[in-house]
Amino acid sequence: MTPSAFIEEADLHALVDGELDPERRRKVEDHLLQHPEDAALVEGWRRQNAALRAAFEPVALEPPPLSLREAAARPPAPPVGQGPIETGAIHWGRPGAAPRPMRKLDEIRASRRRQALASTLLTLVAGAAVAVAALLFLASRPPTQSPMLTRAATSYAARAGLTYATYILDAHPVEIDAARRDELLAWLQERVGFSRAPDLSGVGLRLLGGRVAPGVAAPAAFLIYQRDDGARVGLYFERAEAVAAPSGQRGQGVTVIEWRASGFAFVLVGALPPDAMQVAAEAAAAAVLAPPTETK
Amino acid sequence: MGRRADIVAGLGGATPALRRYARALCAGAGPAIADDLVQSALQSVGARIRSRELRPADLAEARIETYATLVALAEKKLGNAPVPAARHPPIIHGLAGLAFDERAVLLLVSLEGFGYDAAARIVGASRETALAQLMRARMALGAEGLRPVAPLESGRRAVSHLRIVK
Repeated sequence: MTPSAFIEEADLHALVDGELDPERRRKVEDHLLQHPEDAALVEGWRRQNAALRAAFEPVALEPPPLSLREAAARPPAPPVGQGPIETGAIHWGRPGAAPRPMRKLDEIRASRRRQALASTLLTLVAGAAVAVAALLFLASRPPTQSPMLTRAATSYAARAGLTYATYILDAHPVEIDAARRDELLAWLQERVGFSRAPDLSGVGLRLLGGRVAPGVAAPAAFLIYQRDDGARVGLYFERAEAVAAPSGQRGQGVTVIEWRASGFAFVLVGALPPDAMQVAAEAAAAAVLAPPTETK
Repeated sequence: MGRRADIVAGLGGATPALRRYARALCAGAGPAIADDLVQSALQSVGARIRSRELRPADLAEARIETYATLVALAEKKLGNAPVPAARHPPIIHGLAGLAFDERAVLLLVSLEGFGYDAAARIVGASRETALAQLMRARMALGAEGLRPVAPLESGRRAVSHLRIVK
């Protein structure tokens, strides 16, 4: 602290910091030889320097974090002192190649976003097109509803034909025979909702009996009549809408005559000649429409 | 254009030293703050060079500009009183006890090896002022009770035990 007249404290610092020219340096070193207290000061400062370097040199030796690599070359530089300092600028790419891959990544992301948007729109449009097509298709169907009815109507006939084929030649054609007529009618009333067995004796047909059979949409009744010569005729009826006009058809030797009455579909199925079937059907239809007291 | 790009690219080579200086300047306030300062300084100087706002003659001048920017940013961000944690070695507590200007000059000269003129330029003061700050810093740091015996080994040990691995 007490430099000689020629040597100032600044010179001591300059010596430590290598700021002296050789001649001045020699003078200061001579001074230190004669002044141990100044030499101790200089030594203390050198130790300070060494301590500082020891404390912080490892920082310079570690590899800089990714956020600092080529920071100077990065295009978007925040203005000095303004805006947040970037802290989390991590580049998940090859070290040292940060800026361009980042830009590329952004472009790729942007294009992927565009593709995703396009495919979403395409899907929506396609879905809408399918929906419109389906609506048009369904809207075009109601006018052609009559085929359904005719199909249902033919279904009664078909069902009647099937029932006829199933039971007419069976060893037990009827579940309940005509001797237990009341029981049969009660059963039919309960299951089918219509309990009249038309009396067709006027056309030579005697009631054998009947059963409940599977119908088109509901349980159906199937009554079997027999002629004296053994020929059998089936009368099938099931609850249905009274829309269809009476119709008759013939196939494989079996005549089928269908009509609607009292909210039921009646089908007369038999292997009799068409004329006889027609007569029998008319008789049955008349009997069905007759007041209930008559049959009971 | 090519020269500017070279200078900007060359600044990347100064990054380790800048980190060292920033870490010491923060005096235990945290490595994250120090790295943020370095990043901001590098980006700012890089942008200014590219936009020709700054026209350094060579890399050394660009480096001085970067240190100056770093010091300005640090002064704004740190204020005068960073608080080092107790686990830090005494030298860091001693640094934290210095005034910001004194710390800045001392570290520029002692740690970074800048000459007095360059250090004065970096802190934006005259050579005499910078020298006075350097003297005050050394006195204060010595009076702080910096280990008189073997400070070097102690400091090195503390650092080597607390290596930042990630």
